[in-house]
Amino acid sequence: MPFENLEIPVIARALAQLMEQPEDLADLYLERLEEIELPPEDASPGLRVRRESGLAVRLLRGNRSWLAGRDTISPESFNDALRRVVRTMPRLPFPHLDFRPDRFTEPPEAEEVLLFPGLFQQALRAHRLDLAGRLRVRRYRRWVKVISPQQATGVENENFYELRFDAGPVRVNLLLSFLDELAADQLARAVLRAHRAKDAEPVAWRGPCVLGPAAVGVLLHEAVAHALEADILAQGGHPEAAVGVRLGSPLLHIYDDPTSAPPGVRRAWDDEGFPTIRRYLVRGGLVEQPIADAYWARRSDFLVAGSGRRGDRHEPPGPRSSHLELLPGELGPTEINASADGGLYFPEVERGRLDPLTGELTLRFPYGLRLQDQTPGAPVGPCTLRGRIADLLERVTGIGREVRSAGAGWCAKDGLKMPVWASAPEVLFDQLEILP
Amino acid sequence: MSLDERLDDVLDVLGHSGFDEVEVFAKRGRSRTVRFGRDLQVGSLRQEEGWAVRAGDRRRSFFYCSSGNPNPDTPWPEADGRGLRLPSSLPVPSWSPAPDVDSSICGESEATTLFEGLARELDRELPGTKILRGLLEDGAAEQQIVSSREIRQASHQRLATLYLEVIAQRSQARFALQVAERSARAFQPAVIAQRMVDRLLIAERGGSTLRDRGDFLLAPPVMIALLAGLADLFIGPEAEKRLAAMARSGAAIGSKFLSLVDHGRLPGGLLDRPVDGEGLPTREIVLVEEGVLRQPLLAWHEAVAPARPSGCARRPGWRDLPEPGPTHFFLRPAAEQSVAGLLGGLARGYYLIGTTGPVKVEALGKRFAVPVDGYALEKGRATSAIHQAWLVGQTSSLFHGLVAVARDLSFQMARGGMIGAPSTLVRGLELRGQS
Repeated sequence: MPFENLEIPVIARALAQLMEQPEDLADLYLERLEEIELPPEDASPGLRVRRESGLAVRLLRGNRSWLAGRDTISPESFNDALRRVVRTMPRLPFPHLDFRPDRFTEPPEAEEVLLFPGLFQQALRAHRLDLAGRLRVRRYRRWVKVISPQQATGVENENFYELRFDAGPVRVNLLLSFLDELAADQLARAVLRAHRAKDAEPVAWRGPCVLGPAAVGVLLHEAVAHALEADILAQGGHPEAAVGVRLGSPLLHIYDDPTSAPPGVRRAWDDEGFPTIRRYLVRGGLVEQPIADAYWARRSDFLVAGSGRRGDRHEPPGPRSSHLELLPGELGPTEINASADGGLYFPEVERGRLDPLTGELTLRFPYGLRLQDQTPGAPVGPCTLRGRIADLLERVTGIGREVRSAGAGWCAKDGLKMPVWASAPEVLFDQLEILP
Repeated sequence: MSLDERLDDVLDVLGHSGFDEVEVFAKRGRSRTVRFGRDLQVGSLRQEEGWAVRAGDRRRSFFYCSSGNPNPDTPWPEADGRGLRLPSSLPVPSWSPAPDVDSSICGESEATTLFEGLARELDRELPGTKILRGLLEDGAAEQQIVSSREIRQASHQRLATLYLEVIAQRSQARFALQVAERSARAFQPAVIAQRMVDRLLIAERGGSTLRDRGDFLLAPPVMIALLAGLADLFIGPEAEKRLAAMARSGAAIGSKFLSLVDHGRLPGGLLDRPVDGEGLPTREIVLVEEGVLRQPLLAWHEAVAPARPSGCARRPGWRDLPEPGPTHFFLRPAAEQSVAGLLGGLARGYYLIGTTGPVKVEALGKRFAVPVDGYALEKGRATSAIHQAWLVGQTSSLFHGLVAVARDLSFQMARGGMIGAPSTLVRGLELRGQS
């Protein structure tokens, strides 16, 4: 287990020396990362391993923040980072530290990664799909600990996988918290759908549409999570002003809950050392609790910290969602599809984007399926959904009762790549306009 | 222990473990980052150090990278998969680093002063204009590489980038810009503010419902965006086949004004360096000369005589594997041609001064569309502003339709390198309200 031999009381005392004003916040962020990638068979070099560890000291005072990051975890790097943050008192004596530098000692191993291509080939055969392509399998592991003068969190641990399959026009990316036969089958099914749709013509469509759980995950991330992040809300005024505003249909009940994320990516503490909470973002279509980190929570009596996330140790934390949940409705799959008969079904989203100032959302679908006789059938080509968040979410007229875990993918807000997760049922929309 | 010794230790250990091909790369850097927002200002000082190994033989290989100092006692991964081949050392021509490459990185107060200056100049140019977000990064880095193929090279870089997003109070029009210089002290608030306000004014006044063909004078930012979007056409051994489709008569893929160059040691270039990410000498490579393809941009293992390796392996950081890509990739200017001369010679046409979004490239680079801002021109004078119109066309029409280039070559960061172009007069494209 990393970060075991730290002298936490001494570190806490040193951090306390940074704090001059009652509202000051000082913390030490410790991070270890490991990525193990099995590249496609024809790629060289073979197995690829990235391992890194480092720390960052931060001081937050009023509307200023100072951060100093280092690429090693040692008493020297901690002391140096402290001194960079203090700035005005470079000779301030800090307590003497004597912990052993933190480093990886075990050889990098990921048997499940090495075995996966075989499982995937079996799954393709089971679906009678003979398709040559390039498969890349990557495992991500991350350990985080935050120490402040008041407390030290436990070691938070994330473990998840990214799968990429590329066969010319057939491209599939999946983010999963597990890697086994089920994952192989899930990837094979996604490849099969993309393969069947590869020659389909794009269509223009106005009418009922159904979004599958994975597509709903991206929708929630772009249209709800980003829209309710305190720093995004602040671009248009005070973040608290959003509370009570109607964001969509009364059928919508949406949480951000890192504590109920899939095993492997579940979090009890955020990247600022605050306990994560089950945050009721949208209750019956109305905004209930925006997403906040320590900075925004300190500026408001209403906002609650617990959603501070960091891209890495060199980046300051910001308010971000982790695991979005849309509560189930009452419709079974047959009822949903029957309600949208003749319309379009979108299993997944290729990319999404929210313009924070105009509230315009864009979702790009790699393909869709025409709903015929209550079943997703003939594919249609790549198409786009564009509109204002409230207009789109107001058109939700039904929610499925079967919730599925859906890795929503990578979020790249402000250029920082972070995995985001979702659990969602299918969602029925009335009268969406789809553009080719 | 010096970094040199550490690199050698790792090289020895892996050599003795039976790997014929071993390369050890290390990079250290220091940078100041200041985020300037309406609410929170964050100042960061990052000190980064990391290293990477490529090791293998004819049948197996691995890549390992880690933060910290190179460590010969590392628990290495099992090598597997494909074999590995590394480049052999080549003589590196003499090299003098730019005089300002050793300048210190800026202090936090200097960064704050820069943002305050930008805010002041923006407000002076167009009252009420505010900075929505700013990000200044000013850094220096040094890298060393050794290999079992006798490569032993070191180089260092100095670069500052500034991202700025502004909003006009009256119209709520927004514009974002990224610029780069060797050091943060070289950014000129008045020049940047003027450039941004020009674009805000177009956004306030311009329309885009037209559909027209004609003469287009493309300012450097527009041509740079197009070259960045189309750069893949010129990279790798498949490039000749891809570009052959652009030929119209004979072997020429473009007009005589199409001369494209990649130059890893361009004098004054912000990314100039003596060696590339694999320790091979950088050089000037003429890719297209007066419309005729000479050779694509090739990694050392892709170049077959008479084509030469381009010294264009990019390696942004220790976490990255080297891959070929543009270094300073640019359209050659014409020293005798002024922009004013091109403008004055336009009886009717459009002067497109910037892009408002990314270039869309379709059909494997055969067609493109880019959203643009600019002016409609008559007799060399602006008659109306154009906002978010789409410049669309065939790539071959762009290359063959070049009828003049000016001398105002400028560069922007794009595609992990610097892409450059002068103002360019083009015929055969179309301007539309929508893509």
